[in-house]
Amino acid sequence: MFLYNFKYELKLLIRNKWIQVLSVIIIINMLFAGYNGKQKVDKRNADIENITNKVSQEDQLMLLQLDSIKQGHTVNLSKWRVPTSPMAVGNYHPRVAAMQPHDMAFVAIGQSDLFTHYTRPKVVDNSLTIKHTEMTSPVQLLFGSFDLAFVVIYLLPLIIIAFTYNILSQEKESGSLRLLASQPLSIRNWVLQKVILRFFWLVLITILVLTVVFVINEFSFSENLGAFVSCIILVVAYMMFWFALAFAINLFGKSSAKNAMSLLGLWIVFVLLIPAIMGQLSSSFYPIPSRTKMLNEMRALKAETTKKQDKILDNFLRDHPEYASKDDQGKTSFWHRYMASQRIINDELSLLQDKYDGQLRKQHELIQQFQYTSPAIIVQQSLNAMAGTSSTNYEDYRNQVASFAQQWQDFFIPLLYKNKEFTKEQYADFPKFTYQSEAEVTITTKIAVLVLFTLLITMIGWGAFRLNAKKGLVILS
Amino acid sequence: MIGKIIRKESKEIIRDDRFKISLFIVVSLLIVAIFVSSNQYKNTNIQYEEAKTKERANWDSQGEKTPHSAAHYGTYAFKPKYPLSLIDQGVDKYTGVSVFLEAHKRNEAEYSAAADQTGLSRFGELTPDFVLLYIFPLIIILISYNTFTKEKEGGTIALLKSQGIRNWKLTLGKWIASLLPVVVLATILFGIAGILLSNLSDYGEFSWISLFALYSVFIVYYMVFTSITLLISSLAKKSGIALVISLTVWFLGCFAAPKIASNLADLKYPYPTRQEFTENVEYEKKKGLDGHNPWSEEAKLLEKKVLKEYGVDSLHQLPFNFSAYRMQKGEEHQAEIYKKHYEILKEQFKNQKGIYQSIAVISPFLPVRFLSMSIANTNYQTHWDFADAAENYRIDTQLYLNDNHAKNSKYQDWGYKANSDTWKNLPAFEYSPPILSDVLNDNTSIIIMLLFWLGISSGALFLSTKNL
Amino acid sequence: MISNCLIQTKANEYILYMITTRNLTKKYGDFIAVNNLDLDVKEGEILCLLGANGAGKSTTINLLLNFITPTSGEALINGIDVTKDPIKTKSFLTYIPENLMLYPTLSAVENLDYFTGISGKKISKSQLETYLLEAGLQKEALHKRIHSFSKGMRQKVGIALAIAKDTKVLLLDEPTSGLDPKSSNEFSELLKEMSNKGVAILMATHDLFRAKSIGSHIGIMKDGVLKNNFKTQDISIQGLEELYLQTMNYNEVAL
Repeated sequence: MFLYNFKYELKLLIRNKWIQVLSVIIIINMLFAGYNGKQKVDKRNADIENITNKVSQEDQLMLLQLDSIKQGHTVNLSKWRVPTSPMAVGNYHPRVAAMQPHDMAFVAIGQSDLFTHYTRPKVVDNSLTIKHTEMTSPVQLLFGSFDLAFVVIYLLPLIIIAFTYNILSQEKESGSLRLLASQPLSIRNWVLQKVILRFFWLVLITILVLTVVFVINEFSFSENLGAFVSCIILVVAYMMFWFALAFAINLFGKSSAKNAMSLLGLWIVFVLLIPAIMGQLSSSFYPIPSRTKMLNEMRALKAETTKKQDKILDNFLRDHPEYASKDDQGKTSFWHRYMASQRIINDELSLLQDKYDGQLRKQHELIQQFQYTSPAIIVQQSLNAMAGTSSTNYEDYRNQVASFAQQWQDFFIPLLYKNKEFTKEQYADFPKFTYQSEAEVTITTKIAVLVLFTLLITMIGWGAFRLNAKKGLVILS
Repeated sequence: MIGKIIRKESKEIIRDDRFKISLFIVVSLLIVAIFVSSNQYKNTNIQYEEAKTKERANWDSQGEKTPHSAAHYGTYAFKPKYPLSLIDQGVDKYTGVSVFLEAHKRNEAEYSAAADQTGLSRFGELTPDFVLLYIFPLIIILISYNTFTKEKEGGTIALLKSQGIRNWKLTLGKWIASLLPVVVLATILFGIAGILLSNLSDYGEFSWISLFALYSVFIVYYMVFTSITLLISSLAKKSGIALVISLTVWFLGCFAAPKIASNLADLKYPYPTRQEFTENVEYEKKKGLDGHNPWSEEAKLLEKKVLKEYGVDSLHQLPFNFSAYRMQKGEEHQAEIYKKHYEILKEQFKNQKGIYQSIAVISPFLPVRFLSMSIANTNYQTHWDFADAAENYRIDTQLYLNDNHAKNSKYQDWGYKANSDTWKNLPAFEYSPPILSDVLNDNTSIIIMLLFWLGISSGALFLSTKNL
Repeated sequence: MISNCLIQTKANEYILYMITTRNLTKKYGDFIAVNNLDLDVKEGEILCLLGANGAGKSTTINLLLNFITPTSGEALINGIDVTKDPIKTKSFLTYIPENLMLYPTLSAVENLDYFTGISGKKISKSQLETYLLEAGLQKEALHKRIHSFSKGMRQKVGIALAIAKDTKVLLLDEPTSGLDPKSSNEFSELLKEMSNKGVAILMATHDLFRAKSIGSHIGIMKDGVLKNNFKTQDISIQGLEELYLQTMNYNEVAL
């Protein structure tokens, strides 16, 4: 029976223009989304490469200037830009702290349109003065991107619905169900087989197109086969969930139009409603404090410390006797005072910053729990994490940049206070920023939950079918 | 006769479960939306309280200070509150509401709400505009996808046609009946919104005319969707197919097309990265006059020019503090650079807008989205407007401070302290958004696009039902 | 009770009843669709059920197909209770509804292949073609898609299915309504052939003439009750019409 069902289902599928159209829709959409992803990743890489090249050129120039100064020539530079001054190097030759795209960055744009992917923290910077928001047209942010995650989360379920909403009802409405039901077979299994066949058909197409998209994006399968497989498993599990819903709704035995409506209603609930409600809940539980208030506190703090700069410097030098240069007692420049008070500001500000990060982190943790209320959230969160474009990834990057900014400062501060000049030899000792991307994403729990969803829904459908069979509503209506 | 058709269709709609389900969905969504909006209302008000009172107080109470330190201390410009933003948040979530105004630098509006949210918020928020833009069209589809197919499936079409009714009357009756439930809902919603918003004393200036304009845009939008849904229903053979095709149109128009447009816009007319932008500005600034740098070539040129103008041979003989004068000139020069670079950005967005408008040919959603934001003063254009106003205010502030410094002290006197009343005398930042008629004038092409949609969709409907 | 199909007759021989119902009752709330129905159809017999709309003919067939479950009583196919093992009982029967619908995008052969296939029978293409020809389908129609078929042609595919499945029982629900006289006649001939091969046929119909010409037995149902059940040869067509009208009016007169 299975073989026959398979053979004829395939024949029907192939002869059914509707299904061909749907398959083509998937293919076109996924390829387009993959292409978009490639564009974004390429631009990100190009931006980083450009800046890295530019910086290394500037570095060469700086080294040349250092050479000529050493040889006693004057260089054509403003006084405060001359690279023998450690502060000049620290401010005018900052390093590039770049966040290279993950291998799967093309899969989900995530938060990547909101944040920058490289920054150059200066010696005067602190975690709050380094700007991380990207210059993107807000209209673009409002509409979002047409990426693979969008196709998978929003479009794929709709295609599955269009593919399966009338498996049983169509037979009922066209009348062929009567003949079918008079054959020695179980209608429930027959529907199940049809659903499974369609599931395999779509899964096959999806995997094929996804693989093509991964190939287009020059994904290294040999190195990251695990990530690819996880991604496929996740997508397939998500599809399975929607097929289970479609199967259950079919077993309820209502008309085609009612089935389509019910499935669409569920789509709205799972894809639009629950995520929006969960987002709202998480920000209600852990509201981000007013940024205006933060800005005010920040300025008050700055004003305060500026007033007391001399005292702060004294205290600072008392705490750090290693910095107090003995031979040149009187020479305290603007930078000495500035950097000393900067320290204090930094410490205070990091407390302030922690409040925001803390709330955001709590929100994120809450969402990690809330995600199990809707498969759409599970998939969104996982795809973002796989692509390395989730809020957590960017927070992580911000922290890495902040600690690199600290390193950069620590490199120059001793030079400043010991009134030493910056020399060519120290160039090699510059701290280097390497972005540490998060470890692999584990999806076992997520898959387990998706499977659980699937089983639960299947069982509900089963129960409804038995009830209908008792009432004699399956074949006759 | 048309009245009879409307009554019959309405009866069928109301007696159907679908109507009850739709009503339930809409009402529960609206309750959530109102909750979200009232939250937004509270939060914005708190921010304003903080901003307006504390911020100005901070500025006013700086005490005796060198004007240029005050310039570095800076002040803030806050976006005014627009009552209609409670209906349509537009891009406000992504633009930020305050700009820090300081010497030498044009800052962007900082801390957009979106950057402070988790990725979940990118699914969209349950705001009133979400319901109006996405859910109401869906309700239209759910209510009327089978308007014609049910007659075909039930066989009543033959009986109907044999009654000698003109097809356009039949179609018009069905069209009105399909539109009616959503129009009633929207009217109630806008009515309530009007009453609530007009009673908010602390949320900007409310205008019934703007609200009515917003209402009209949405009604036209619903007309377009009704026409499209009925058109599909008249062409399809089965209800199920009609439903699925209508939903495809909905998804394509409301979800896919805006994203496709945004991707194409970014691909063809990309913005520079934040770093590129800053570096370009810095690079040009470095070449030009810098108020803090008296040794640069540009500074020397300025010196010569001023000395010649006043017919004196030393800067000390000038009747004002040349240092402050140079500071002001540097400020003006830098403002020019910013202006130039922001013009490039604006140009780029203008190009992007062209793409959005051409994609609007396949999506009636886009013109409505843009119009609604514009009327609510939460669109990108208003944000530019605000940012420019803030920049002008910044330039004026710098002029005020540098003038004060120049008039009241001598060359190279950086120790001069302006008295503590100086700060109070700086006029406060005022920004009034473009008025409705200007907004509508700016958006004529979008309005035409929307009316074009209405014309095409209803024209196609009446043509296709000519021979039922 | 009758737990198997072997019923002892007067002559002490065992006769196989293919279709049996005992006290079969189906209620929808207060409405009794089928009331204590006892039917027996042997191999090679054709029982034509007559009756007005709503008399319970279709309900009886639906009960035999287990499309609906009986409120009480039993329905047996080849001696097996249809509610206990519906799949087994369906392997013995073929059902041709009033308007037999097949897959429009598949050809006649493909449809037949599908339905026999999912019934668990493997039959070669050429064999399927023979069955369709046997059922009276024109040769050039064999590979045409069903959407161009008339009702008569679709029903021939149904008969071919019965032949292919080597069916023991044929359940027909008003198969000749809407057919032109020629097709109707051809269909009757096919049924007679089937019955000659030993198939037990239960046919619900409004057509007295057709019932008289092909039925071996005729039953008249009214309000879910089997009022008359007799051999066709015992009655003339005029007599049948009289009896039918009499049965139909019986209650009204009494009321």
